[in-house]
Amino acid sequence: MKARHPFLGLVARRLLGALPLILGVTFLTFLLVTYFAPDPIWELAGRNPTAAELTELQSQIEQSQSWPARYFNYLMALSRFDLGHSLISGESVSGMLGRSVPVTLALMLPGLFIGGLIALCAGYLAARTEGQALDRLISSLSALGMSVSLVIFVMLCQLVFSVWLGWFPARGWSTESLYDWLLHVSVPTLIVVLANLGYNVRFFRSMWLEAITQPAVRSARAFGLPEWRILTYRLLPWACGPILTRLCFSVPMLLLSGSLVIESYFGIPGVGRVFYNAILSGDQPVILGVVIVASVVLILALTLVESLAQWVDPRQQRQ
Amino acid sequence: MRPRFEVMTGALLLLAVLVGCGAESQPLESPKKVYRHVLDGAPASLDPAQANSTYARLLVPAIFDTLYRYKYLARPYELTPGLALDFPVVSGDGLTYEIELDPRARFSDSPVFEGGRGRAVTARDVAWSIARHFDPATRSGASWLWRDRIIGLERIVNAESGTPMPPDSFDIDGLEVVDANTLRIHLRKPFPTLLHTLATAQSAVVPYEAVLAFGPEFGVRPVGSGPFRLIEFDETRALLVKNENFDRGVVDLAAEGFDPAQHAEFGVQAIDGKSYPFIDRLEVQFIAQAGARWNSFRSRQGADIVMLPPELAGQVLSKLQPLTFNQETVADYHALATPEAGFVYYGINLANQAIGNHPEPERQVKNRELRCALGQSLNWQARADQFYHGIGEHFPGVIPPMLPSWDPALQPQSFDPERAKARWQAAGWTLDSLPHLIYGHQAGVQQGQHFEMLRANLIAAGYPPERIQQRVYPTFADLLRGINAGEVDVFLMGWTMAYPDAQYNLQLFYGPNAAPGVNSSRYQNARFDRTFEHALGLPDQAERVALYRALNQQIVDDCVIMGSMVRTRIHLWKRHVRMVPDREIVGGFFLPFVDVDLSAQQ
Repeated sequence: MKARHPFLGLVARRLLGALPLILGVTFLTFLLVTYFAPDPIWELAGRNPTAAELTELQSQIEQSQSWPARYFNYLMALSRFDLGHSLISGESVSGMLGRSVPVTLALMLPGLFIGGLIALCAGYLAARTEGQALDRLISSLSALGMSVSLVIFVMLCQLVFSVWLGWFPARGWSTESLYDWLLHVSVPTLIVVLANLGYNVRFFRSMWLEAITQPAVRSARAFGLPEWRILTYRLLPWACGPILTRLCFSVPMLLLSGSLVIESYFGIPGVGRVFYNAILSGDQPVILGVVIVASVVLILALTLVESLAQWVDPRQQRQ
Repeated sequence: MRPRFEVMTGALLLLAVLVGCGAESQPLESPKKVYRHVLDGAPASLDPAQANSTYARLLVPAIFDTLYRYKYLARPYELTPGLALDFPVVSGDGLTYEIELDPRARFSDSPVFEGGRGRAVTARDVAWSIARHFDPATRSGASWLWRDRIIGLERIVNAESGTPMPPDSFDIDGLEVVDANTLRIHLRKPFPTLLHTLATAQSAVVPYEAVLAFGPEFGVRPVGSGPFRLIEFDETRALLVKNENFDRGVVDLAAEGFDPAQHAEFGVQAIDGKSYPFIDRLEVQFIAQAGARWNSFRSRQGADIVMLPPELAGQVLSKLQPLTFNQETVADYHALATPEAGFVYYGINLANQAIGNHPEPERQVKNRELRCALGQSLNWQARADQFYHGIGEHFPGVIPPMLPSWDPALQPQSFDPERAKARWQAAGWTLDSLPHLIYGHQAGVQQGQHFEMLRANLIAAGYPPERIQQRVYPTFADLLRGINAGEVDVFLMGWTMAYPDAQYNLQLFYGPNAAPGVNSSRYQNARFDRTFEHALGLPDQAERVALYRALNQQIVDDCVIMGSMVRTRIHLWKRHVRMVPDREIVGGFFLPFVDVDLSAQQ
């Protein structure tokens, strides 16, 4: 088995090894949410509750049970893939995630990839011209980009493209057609690109600087190979690992926090808003659901990254 | 190089064609009349049983029917029949209300009904919708509206907790279903404000089938008999379309309180004599950020209305006294300023003997004098300037000027830190004996600024700064928990009325409502409680008004709170929308009367 499908075997071993990690995540999250999240009772109780009604509510949401019993019940439900229902709205958590996660991905991934691509190129240019005017210009612009708040980018782009020019809607979300999606995703994508460009350029510049000082690259230059061949056959394979790691780590982070500001300002029903509202109201099933799904995605992403890195660079497998 | 260029060109052309196709298909699907409303927060649930927020109270009446509602334009607010055919027939002793339903009322079409067609609304639906508030499975936040009022509700015990109580199994003495269209409500004692409670969003009528079918998700998949039908609901917006089963005849604008001098400029006369609702599609956007709300309003396809955030008031107002909008605003938009149906005040924890109730009469008086002195040290005009674009109205007690029982003779204390200092000193307090005060507030910049202003006012009145501390709570729900646990001594509260009767505000000090109920100050006064109960049973007449005023005077004399202030709401809306917006008492009841002038829009 191992010899015939080494890739699948590796993935299976990694996923199996992730189970204790996921269990640990549920334990810690459940502990933190139980003792430190806002008490949802006060969201549910209405304006004029009696002490008896509060007690009844506590009993209904299992607050009257012991912590181990609640955690055990939660694990049992989780084993049936039952994430429960939101305490506040009553909607099923899996339904909330099912409708909001694809929106966040459709919203953020274009900006992530386009921004990553631009940053890769800009970082490469800066690294190739280290210390020269172009490098200084790119580094200065990236420092400027890092120092501007995301909210400023949001307000500015909304004002320019939606209010002054009127080219794009100021808020809303639709994927009914490609046109609709482009209409609603363009300004947020621009913002994601602008907001992350500074950080990404600095990261990729450092990465390229390290890459171009590799002995293999120096040897290739000594042989007089053309620049595009060095880039294609030496630099890119070397850089695939860091690039994939950075990209794959971004996706689960998006699920937890990355898109909150953009979703809020543009009225986009993504998972950032779902998570934020759940934290504010102490909606424990939703908080747990988002964290666990993000953890699973992170583990899957890590497995994918390591497997892909080995596929791209077989030396890692040997190591 | 050349093939790559061709591939790129081809891809771009394909993209352009796709984009073009999308652009072509867009107008064909667009409904004719669309109104885009905007709220500064989102309701978590649209189940009437959980309609405790301002946001839910706007949306719930658009989806559901209530027996009574408030007239669209009449001010002061007046009740009018909604789902009920007429006002009730009330027995001589005021204990029985017989209400006949409008036979035209039908629930909107939904798969939960037989054949997917909405059925007629019956008296049993109304009775069940009230009774379910007392079923623990409902987790209602509104049972207090009828607690100890309607006979038999307290007996409801649902054996199968977690599932809704079946409609044919309950037999409540106080909710007598006479026939399909007639309901008789039997009260334990006279309760003239019952009709107001039957106009609240929480009293809306729900079909049992939908509650059973959707279970806990009924709050996000509501089915009602109101003017609109919900088709989409999430954290960012609610999308509704006209309920084709809704038929309540035509608009009688005069009966709705139309006054040409006040309302003609908004074009609402165009809806007179026509059947409603007028818009095909209602989109309610939830935008918490003031800047984003403003941008959405000013963009071409954004919101049609905005409630102006205080920080932007300077852009639309040319004068504060009297309130005047600048020329650009008037030229571009309709504008309206109205007082909120509520107020803000500083509550005091009277359970803390250091500043509140005390068993020793002398200390009781001394504490009261200190509270009064603190109240006198607050600069409400500065609060209005800083936080409420300078147009808040300070008034004493809890009966604001918008209510008929407001007492014009009762004047607010003037801001006078020197007199405040003299007052606490005269009561025997010294710098060493003044109690430590903990001010609790929700985390946030503005909430922090409120604390700083309070502290500055108290320091100006001689209060030692080190004895004024803040405790910050991450959320409002946490603050409520802290208040009810007695963790804070002073707190800023906003109170929004669900119906325009002073009883709704005075209940904040009714002894049996003490925390965890709405009496967060834990005010205990047997005389106040007796008078409050007596006033509750009186019909709406001079005697009740006099009692309300006496109760309000009692609150002021005992310095139970430091307050209060009514804020002014400024609404701007686009000129092609014909309406008079109201997010206060009328709330969502104004939405069926909104009309869009398509020619003006184009």
